[in-house]
Amino acid sequence: MTSSLLQRIASGDSAAVRECIDQYGALVWSIARRLSRTPSDAEDATQEIFLDIWRSAGRFDAAQGSDKVFIAMIARRRLIDRLRKTSAEPAMEPVATLETVVWADPGTAAETAIEAEQAARALAELRPEQRQVLELGLLHGLSQAEIATRLDMPLGTVKSFMRRGLIQVREYMNIDAEGVSARA
Amino acid sequence: MSDKPAQGQPDEAMVDLLIKQVTEGLSPAEQRALDVLDSATVSADLREFERAAAAITLAGGAGGEPLPPALARRLAAQAAEHLTSLSGSQSVQRVRDLGAARAAIAVSLPLRAARRNSAYGWFAASACLVLAIFGWVRPPANIAPLAQVAPSVAEQRDALLANSDTIKVTLSATKDPAAAGVTGDVVWDPATQRGFMHFSGLAANDPAVHQYQLWIFDGARDQRYPVDGGVFDVPANAKEIVIPIRAALMVLKPAAFAVTVEKPGGAVVSSRERVVVLGAAG
Repeated sequence: MTSSLLQRIASGDSAAVRECIDQYGALVWSIARRLSRTPSDAEDATQEIFLDIWRSAGRFDAAQGSDKVFIAMIARRRLIDRLRKTSAEPAMEPVATLETVVWADPGTAAETAIEAEQAARALAELRPEQRQVLELGLLHGLSQAEIATRLDMPLGTVKSFMRRGLIQVREYMNIDAEGVSARA
Repeated sequence: MSDKPAQGQPDEAMVDLLIKQVTEGLSPAEQRALDVLDSATVSADLREFERAAAAITLAGGAGGEPLPPALARRLAAQAAEHLTSLSGSQSVQRVRDLGAARAAIAVSLPLRAARRNSAYGWFAASACLVLAIFGWVRPPANIAPLAQVAPSVAEQRDALLANSDTIKVTLSATKDPAAAGVTGDVVWDPATQRGFMHFSGLAANDPAVHQYQLWIFDGARDQRYPVDGGVFDVPANAKEIVIPIRAALMVLKPAAFAVTVEKPGGAVVSSRERVVVLGAAG
């Protein structure tokens, strides 16, 4: 059975460490750019994320998801931690300059990762304002309070949209129906 | 719904906490509220929400922006350092002075924040220390020597200049005493937001008394508030110096560059009392 790149890193394959940069550099960088306050923050974060990836590759379980999702999870975790530590600083960018997001089309997102296809299908069923809340929170790193201000929407509504959207994506990812989604 | 649920809180509140953790992080109070809950349940649910958030991130087009070449080179150097450290870790039992070995391993590649004052000096120092202690450990054959994968600042500037999108702005000296006989330029790549200053003849400064600071005037921003391009020092006897630019904000339309003399640590808004050099783009 062919080992995934992360499994090769975990087994000490030195070439895999460098291949990881070639294969996932753009992914990590683009997430870091969106969730960092400045370009230099994004560069520092990208270096930290790759160290995290190399060190935690041994925890990757191919049965639980793709390499890409595992790496995106590590990247998001590190970036949110960095944002939290600098939360007293001014907001990242004026909202008007936020990059426009083009959601993947259901049916073609599988080229990115099977989980992206599942998410795209779930997102397609959401109302535009629900997708907008997810976009601002997950892709641009705005806090729920910032989203409420930006969209002139009650904070409770923002939380509700965020909760329903994430639970719907969870369900499309064939997550245990006895989990949180069933209770919320 | 409460932001600070107590033990026995409704599940919806727990879900909201988990979602906040994966989207923006928790405050210490919120984290404590989550910690009192069943850790196995929380951990499993948290991981599922993290997976969902990661999947949405991928569906949102993450991955379309190529890695800047200079950052790719730094990551390659970091990979080499990581692998060297692993080699050292595996051989550490063969080193009698275990304390010294741990110290060597602990000197890992510093991130850029730690390099701000000395560019690649920290990297070179850590690499030398690791190699001094583990020099007898032959690295894997396919790892390039560290000295070859860490380009100097001057080499990085040259590489940036080779990019057709990079702009070069000649800096003109003012009548400030520190500017006597100074020549210099700025190179800046708008796409990667990276650039370098290059000076010849700029007076050495005492960092305890004052420091130089670069300002970038962005045509898309209020000209009263140029973007901070970073604080830097000129060492004694430095005839020629190349300094990386550390723009604090995204520069959309670089219009002009200026260097001022500021108090140690730099200024948030310069009084512009001492402008040393300046130059306009295009």
